[in-house]
Amino acid sequence: MLVFRKPPQNIERPQMPADVAIVGGGPAGMACALRLAQLIDEHNASNPKSQLSKENIYVLEKAREIGQHCLSGALLDPRSMSELLPDFEKEAPLDAPVSKEAVYFLTESGKFKLPITPPPLRDHGNYVISLNRFVKWLGSKVEAAGMTVFTGFAGAELLLDGNRVTGVRTDDKGLDKQNQPKGNFEPGYDLQAKVVILAEGSRGSLTKQLINKFDLSKTRNPQTFGQGVKELWEVPSGRIAAGEVIYTMGWPLTTREYGGAWIYGGKDNVVSLGFVTGLDYPDPRLDPQRVLQQFKRHPFVAKLLEGGKMIRYGAKSLPYGGWFAIPPIAGDGWMIVGDSAGFLNSQRLKGIHLAIKSGMLAAETAFDALKKDDFSSATLNQYPSRVENSWIKQELWKVRNFHQGFEHGFLQGMFHAGIQQFTGGRGLRDRYEATPGYARMKPLRELPADGGPDSHLIGPAKGDGKLTFDKLTDLYHSGTKHEEDQPAHLIIHDTNICESRCITEFGSPCQNFCPANVYEMLDDSAAPNGKRISLNPSNCVHCKTCDIQDPYQIITWVPPEGGGGPNYDGM
Amino acid sequence: MKILVCMKQVPQKDAPLKLNESGTWIRDDVSYEVNEPDAYALEEALRQKEKHGGEVVVITAGPPRAQQVLREALAKGADRAIHLEDNAFVGLDAFSTARAFAAAIKDEQFDLICTGLQSDDYGFAQTGVILAELLRWPHATIIMQIEKTDAGIKVKRELEAGYFQFVDMPLPAVLTIQSGINKLRYATLIGIKQAKNKPLRKVALAKVQQAIGSNLQKIERMYIPQKTKKTEYLEGPPAEIAKKLVDKLRNEIRVL
Repeated sequence: MLVFRKPPQNIERPQMPADVAIVGGGPAGMACALRLAQLIDEHNASNPKSQLSKENIYVLEKAREIGQHCLSGALLDPRSMSELLPDFEKEAPLDAPVSKEAVYFLTESGKFKLPITPPPLRDHGNYVISLNRFVKWLGSKVEAAGMTVFTGFAGAELLLDGNRVTGVRTDDKGLDKQNQPKGNFEPGYDLQAKVVILAEGSRGSLTKQLINKFDLSKTRNPQTFGQGVKELWEVPSGRIAAGEVIYTMGWPLTTREYGGAWIYGGKDNVVSLGFVTGLDYPDPRLDPQRVLQQFKRHPFVAKLLEGGKMIRYGAKSLPYGGWFAIPPIAGDGWMIVGDSAGFLNSQRLKGIHLAIKSGMLAAETAFDALKKDDFSSATLNQYPSRVENSWIKQELWKVRNFHQGFEHGFLQGMFHAGIQQFTGGRGLRDRYEATPGYARMKPLRELPADGGPDSHLIGPAKGDGKLTFDKLTDLYHSGTKHEEDQPAHLIIHDTNICESRCITEFGSPCQNFCPANVYEMLDDSAAPNGKRISLNPSNCVHCKTCDIQDPYQIITWVPPEGGGGPNYDGM
Repeated sequence: MKILVCMKQVPQKDAPLKLNESGTWIRDDVSYEVNEPDAYALEEALRQKEKHGGEVVVITAGPPRAQQVLREALAKGADRAIHLEDNAFVGLDAFSTARAFAAAIKDEQFDLICTGLQSDDYGFAQTGVILAELLRWPHATIIMQIEKTDAGIKVKRELEAGYFQFVDMPLPAVLTIQSGINKLRYATLIGIKQAKNKPLRKVALAKVQQAIGSNLQKIERMYIPQKTKKTEYLEGPPAEIAKKLVDKLRNEIRVL
């Protein structure tokens, strides 16, 4: 019997006042905290009589350690970092400046190099980084600036008073599998905050709560997502230079799916490679982890990796709905930054620099609010104005219709992308409509039994143990660890749908899109179709794909006990 | 009771390890955590303090990053911390570490010192024991339970094959604590916040250098275990195969 995580009722919760609560210690949250510390320090230096305190400003981070849940390619466009910390290059952990770049179109066994690298994919001036190491460093700057980072604490619920966000509740610790308090139970804190800044990353759970509560997405395009599956490899020297950047399109995806791969050369012969599969593919049997395995079997990639060793694995969703999918980002007592808001350039496949910039702009607004002691939407709405007047808007406006152009496949997408390139991003319409990705999933009866042209992408990857890996082997390399004795944090609102409808209509795609084997359909003669849903929540790598991609939208991802999750060392 | 808890920062259990260039230890670009038995030692010390009053002091030796272990302990309720801060402490053997600790606490009067049974990295299981020798205190290892008595303490030791030993000991004493002796508490937000203002005394290497002397033990070379795979077929009638299999599992692979 599945028991889901639910905050115990009628318990007394410790209270703690906060001026600012930043939920999430990734690039956006950390940049926000650091910028705020800078502004307060500057203010205090020149206003000895009206000092502002950093004492009650907190960053909540669900990972046990700063940066542990951060995963990205990653390339860093230094624009915002140079604003936040001029000369950051001197001390930040950067693997290498981009030295060489190429874009390939892959067929099953061949490749075509694009004669020129399309401008959006030109990366000179950017850096290959490990986002994990970078955020660890940025976090150390935040702590050195006198800010408090609570690691191992997730934002579990928003505290609301009418239309106002009044704070955030942290996760309950010490609940057992039946959702009952254990001997060491510690109820989550009610952090009563004047302003809550949501920096949870892609598909934030509190952000989702807020968007639903206030129907924030009603005039916006639905957010669309991709799932990035990444492996870190150590390869024999001479295969790829540090700073070398390769993008591929095409194989193993067909024209029905959206996505592509990256290969980045890091230092010490470490290669970052990964595949982003758009979470708007038609065949529910498609498995993004398998897509990456197929990609590696291409001779071009296999040769690069031969004799190497896979050292780390991870997966994460990313929002690429673009400008028109960004919800309102401020209101009474709240702001949303980074991937939670959807600040990601889907054409350049970059979001770190935008996350940082949005965090900085939110910090500037929070600083004004602190000075005025006014945290109403009147003051906090300066944040969206700041975004409008910043280079974030300029950059995202140019690509506002990019991803939507690919809704009807790769070829049409290239056509729209081409027209948009010459019309400042407009393309054929002012605003391209979008469909949520899960709604594009087709029922099994409309699909060929063997997958047809997608047959190489469906079902679990087997793996040869050298170049390709099955999901559990990959998962082992994510370093994922959770307290085992806790309720399931993947809340399925109606398991009857899983067992009676989904299994026959879509063939239980949760087993396929989850990159961590959390979902399993187990034989059970008592179940209507001979199988019941079972969960392995301890495997969860916090990618949020299930929350996004389940065709019935009955899964809600909530944070498990703080401190649990993947360990993305070096990712 | 005034209790000292010796704690160590070790690489996370599942961290992918790489050897350093000289092949004498691992590269330090991994994630670290509190040595597991030390976390139980701390918890036990906090519980004793809650029952009998007193003070809990935590001590560690290691580079600046090791301070994290002390911060976590302070957040959970330790009163103050001592940090022997230097990179050089990473390579010390158990004898040198114990001598460094003894030197660092020579002006303090503890009733009890708790350490974890052993560290997850070196696994010497000796630092606590040697520390007791240096202080000329009694010690007991693999502790599963501590009870305060009029004369001192009564402890339960874990022996092999499910046997336990109960020992009455005078104080002061050194105990090395077994994992699982209690249920670990969580740090709370308020605890973490208060920890920022708790006293943390730093001890430089130079202060204890003389006491340490030179390492008696050193790692010459480390090797990554070579993975080998061998398949062996057991043949014969089922009963015989079962017998052979049990024999192999018991005497060769030693899992039974």
